[in-house]
Amino acid sequence: MRLISTIALVFLISACAEIETKGQAFPKMYSETEKPISIVVVPAINKSTAADAANLVNSTLTIPFADNGYYVLPIAIVSDIFRREGLIEGSQIQGIPLSMFKTSFGADSVLYITINKWDTNYVVLAANVVVGMSYVLRSTTDSEILWSYDQEIVVDTSGDSTGFLLADIIKTAITTAMTDYIPIARQVNATAVATMPYGKYHPLNNTDAEAKVVLKKSRENAVMSTD
Amino acid sequence: MNSKIMMVVLCIGLAGCTTVSPGGYYWGKYSYTYHDLLKNPGETARAAHVVTLQDIIATSNEKDLRTPPGIHAELGNLLSNADRNDEAAAQYQAERALYPESAVFLQRLLVKPKAGAEE
Repeated sequence: MRLISTIALVFLISACAEIETKGQAFPKMYSETEKPISIVVVPAINKSTAADAANLVNSTLTIPFADNGYYVLPIAIVSDIFRREGLIEGSQIQGIPLSMFKTSFGADSVLYITINKWDTNYVVLAANVVVGMSYVLRSTTDSEILWSYDQEIVVDTSGDSTGFLLADIIKTAITTAMTDYIPIARQVNATAVATMPYGKYHPLNNTDAEAKVVLKKSRENAVMSTD
Repeated sequence: MNSKIMMVVLCIGLAGCTTVSPGGYYWGKYSYTYHDLLKNPGETARAAHVVTLQDIIATSNEKDLRTPPGIHAELGNLLSNADRNDEAAAQYQAERALYPESAVFLQRLLVKPKAGAEE
């Protein structure tokens, strides 16, 4: 299963071909005046069929963005504030003018996330989760897009083979039922964040413009799916 | 039952070595206790998340790491919700000292208790 997803990924990369450097893809992230330091994360919009997907994503988002060098305003407090204002769904919050996040929160940028797919597949011997997410980071100064990414990744959740067919079938069923989805959500977020230029608190800040890691199509798709 | 045993084994395993993230932070069980809090909001989940936040702060100090963004503020907010306002203010102060870009946001939180009293 892991082999298949690796092959699929290689195929995907070679088919779409066009790979950009971080600097080409996200020039504003290297501009002294436009590069954000702080990020407000709007609670994820869940378009998938998995009820818990939004909770999983919201509880694993801060870590990769903070690790990448940004000040992420605490999601727990920000969503409490929205809730007090009667804004519960991410889609309600999307309507708020970006400048409001600057005046009330002092934030340089806002991150919008859409969970397009969260499908758990279980076929006797193999199990996986297919997760599709898009991320768009916008400036609170001029509403321009600073960074964006869209991806669909397959995470194998089968567990290791025991070497015995019947045991493997049972094991796959058990691991599917007990799968810990937090590491999966983390992995999905980390994959997207790998294309994002480092921020102020990262030792490699402003040194990664030449890193050739951005799939042009993924960058463009994110903007289309959230507009 | 099985999952409980696994959790205990996992906890012992995690306590054995302090994991530092790629960004140089210690996050402890942050995602787990926050996810529990989102899924089953209540006193038990809240208390567990407070323990996580306190552990992150204590371990970061111990290991000479910068406390991750938002952790002091989040602990401050939970303390403030429990009417422990002096302790909350101290946490907000710590957040601001580490991350000056949090100032506007924290100012908003400091005026919050009044709004709560009106509700």
